[in-house]
Amino acid sequence: MTVTHAQGSTTIPATPEKVVVFDLGVLTTLDELGVPVAGVPVAENLPDKLAKYAGDGYTKVGSLFEPDYEKVNSLEPDLIVVAGRSSAAYPELSKIAPTVDLSVDNTKFLASFRERTEALGTIFGKQTEVERRLDAIDTAAAGVKAKAGDRTGLIVLTTGGKISAHGAGGRFGVIHDTLGVKPAAEGLSTDTHGQAVSAEFIAKTDPDLLYVVDRDSAIGENGAAAKQVLDNALVNGTKAAKNGKIVYLDPFTWYLAPAALSSVDGMVKAVGDSLS
Amino acid sequence: MTAPVLTEAALAATRRGQGRRLAVLALLAVAVVAGFVLIGLTGNWEYALGVRFRKIATMTVVGVAVACSSVLFQTVTGNRILTPGIMGFDQLFVLVQTLIVFLFGALALSTADPRLLFAGQVTVMVIFAGGLYRWLFGRRGRDLYVLVLAGVVFGTLFGSLSSLAARLINPNDFVVLQDSLFASFNQVDPDLLALSALLVAGMAAWTVRLTGRLDVVALGRDHALNLGVHHASVVNQALVIVAVLVSVSTALVGPITFLGLLVANLARQLTGTFRHRTVLTAAALLSVIVLAGGQLVLERLLAMNTALSVIINFVGGAYFIALLIRESRR
Amino acid sequence: MTRRPLSGRLRAWHLVAGTALLAVLAAGSLFVGVSDLTPAGLLAGRPEEVRTLVESRLPRLLAILLAGTAMSVAGLVMMHLTGNRFVSPSTAGTTESATFGVLVATLFAGGEAVIVKMVTAVAFALLGTFFFMAILRRLTFRDMILVPLAGIMFGGVVGAATTFVAYRADLLQSLGAWTAGDFSGVLRGRYELLWIAGAVTVLGYLYADRFTVAGLGRGFAVNLGVRYDRVVNTGLVLAAAITAVVVVTVGEVPFVSLIVPNLVTLALGDNLRHALPATALTGALFVLLCDIAGRIIRFPYEIPVSTVLGVVGAAAFLALLLGGGKRMGLR
Repeated sequence: MTVTHAQGSTTIPATPEKVVVFDLGVLTTLDELGVPVAGVPVAENLPDKLAKYAGDGYTKVGSLFEPDYEKVNSLEPDLIVVAGRSSAAYPELSKIAPTVDLSVDNTKFLASFRERTEALGTIFGKQTEVERRLDAIDTAAAGVKAKAGDRTGLIVLTTGGKISAHGAGGRFGVIHDTLGVKPAAEGLSTDTHGQAVSAEFIAKTDPDLLYVVDRDSAIGENGAAAKQVLDNALVNGTKAAKNGKIVYLDPFTWYLAPAALSSVDGMVKAVGDSLS
Repeated sequence: MTAPVLTEAALAATRRGQGRRLAVLALLAVAVVAGFVLIGLTGNWEYALGVRFRKIATMTVVGVAVACSSVLFQTVTGNRILTPGIMGFDQLFVLVQTLIVFLFGALALSTADPRLLFAGQVTVMVIFAGGLYRWLFGRRGRDLYVLVLAGVVFGTLFGSLSSLAARLINPNDFVVLQDSLFASFNQVDPDLLALSALLVAGMAAWTVRLTGRLDVVALGRDHALNLGVHHASVVNQALVIVAVLVSVSTALVGPITFLGLLVANLARQLTGTFRHRTVLTAAALLSVIVLAGGQLVLERLLAMNTALSVIINFVGGAYFIALLIRESRR
Repeated sequence: MTRRPLSGRLRAWHLVAGTALLAVLAAGSLFVGVSDLTPAGLLAGRPEEVRTLVESRLPRLLAILLAGTAMSVAGLVMMHLTGNRFVSPSTAGTTESATFGVLVATLFAGGEAVIVKMVTAVAFALLGTFFFMAILRRLTFRDMILVPLAGIMFGGVVGAATTFVAYRADLLQSLGAWTAGDFSGVLRGRYELLWIAGAVTVLGYLYADRFTVAGLGRGFAVNLGVRYDRVVNTGLVLAAAITAVVVVTVGEVPFVSLIVPNLVTLALGDNLRHALPATALTGALFVLLCDIAGRIIRFPYEIPVSTVLGVVGAAAFLALLLGGGKRMGLR
């Protein structure tokens, strides 16, 4: 069977058995689909549901972005999956075994995610289950969109005590373009990256909902560092703060492994909850 | 500099001593390379050998480039604590990578044609170096220190630009970016390697042609002029070589700032000479020993793949401080 | 380092004119920002506008003035003590060491109080600076450019270590953002530590004469009855403390500590007590101008002051290096 992916198309054997995965998102999806994998990268701080992959039962094939080619080769896999960080290794890995690059394009996240996940379903003969899950996500998303109404939202990322605002075109744009929350700030829509802003900007924009990505969560509980940054008179004066609608987005779901079935599920749910 | 008066015989003896030391270094290099290729070879060794040979080839190309560029740079600046990496090259590399992710997203960096990226990187860096040299040398006298300091200032400028861009990149694009900022010998495109090898070999040949005159230039401008060597021309040629070598090696694997400092000084220390032919050979051999040996230890003994450039920077940095203290005691 | 001043002595009216200019710009800067704030609105006493002023604009202005003043004075002091006009916190490993301190504090104290970060940063900045000075003392051959280059290389070593540790701890992006100088995060309650830097700056002024004497060299200073080592150490502690406090509260402000003292001494000569107020004033003006520019260029978004300073500062420094090179005793 031939699979189209981010770096072309690859012919792979029907139902590959020995699979090496270099991406946490794909690993999560495969885990949920009940597909066994043979080789995984060394990764720290895995969430509980993936903790078993850190154990000895799985061959460690390098780091998240730098494969140990000799290890991969000695494993003689039927299929190698790369995405995101590891996609630069695609040319070399495809010399070892059939390799697919399931990187998701952040600029059209949901469509791209559907395509890649469907490819996974096809490869492992799980089309029905994948379609069911994807359709469920679409239905849920449509429900959230209907619920959003006229409410406006602003997505900010806090890092090192500073704030940047992200628009609909970027990584977190799903909130605006798929889930229907209106962008509170004009002109943030086209860039894939954020813009540096001050607390005054948040006050002036005065969104109904404030979605916060806490980049400093590595140093402690998610949201703790961001709360410190955002707990001030200016932000506290916004509608979002007054109505308790400051939403701290879960790092694993939103940026460590966003392209996984449960992650997208979680995203839709998080935004849906914020609207109720 | 007070050069001791040497008799013909004594001179010949020191030459022989240097020859012996070079031979020892060469043997050591061969041993390390052999160790790297052979130790822990399992499974499908045909493929493993291919991977290892490519890594060794990458290390050799980068090692020669770094060794040559650092020795030349130190000679023309007459300063042994400098390395061309601090002249803004490393920061420029970071800036270019950051801007690619900033403007086009991480997908662009990881899926773009590596040859295109490489060509772009090298072009940008050579233009930067050329522009800097021309601009500064075109206007005033040939003050190399001003050139170096100006390079450092540009480095700070590039750094402050990339720090803004880095902060605004979304987190999962950023992890792709940060991976590309650390030197790695693991995944180098074979075509690029061949091209780099060709470029580095060309520059090395040019360097060899220049060695005699470099020995004279190392004595200082006045001595060089008295001895009938066109100082400015040699310095210009050396700087061009440095620019190309640094650009190629950085674009190929990423910045390894302190490797050059380490090997150039170790080479002088071990051979006890200032003759460029000897020092350059020794430095190149040392580069290969340090890179292959370091990778061997990290990969096979400590199972760490990515930390080589960091360890080298650390060891090189410590050596640099030791060097400063030792120099100052004289 | 004796040099003839470019334009005669500092006259009182220079300082007065400078202060007046700063006052006008400072007042103007209060009305540059995203939220609505106009003089008319303030006079009318609209609560949101008063809040914006008190919570955001005024703290930001004070932070700018304090950081600009303190950093340029720190640069001036270091320049005098080392007898080298290219030695400043950014070229002696001080800034990089302070950053390393911030990282270490973040790793071990997590999201704890900023004061922990500050104390650690000050300690690291001191360690780094004294280490560099220890090396410097042993250098018999003190070239005008060799010394700062050694400092820059030393900073590079510390920086490489910082980067690696941050990378392993997944703090690279956070640390980068934390240490890039930016006043956009300054609000009431977020900048007050800078008053410490301000107090230290005043101390520097009180010590100015002793620094001047120490700058003439050990032999000379001892002859004049100045306890050389103690004065030098005091000066370094002051400079390191200022740098660390600024790095922790607003991040690195590049070039200020290098350019401002050079420009001022170029114009006024080397007497520290004369140069110090002018340096403080110029530093504040310089940073304020750059921050206002950063607020306006991409309105309503911000360009961090470190980026603006990076561009403006690099241009100024190169002009200084090329144009003023002869006068600065470079060639």
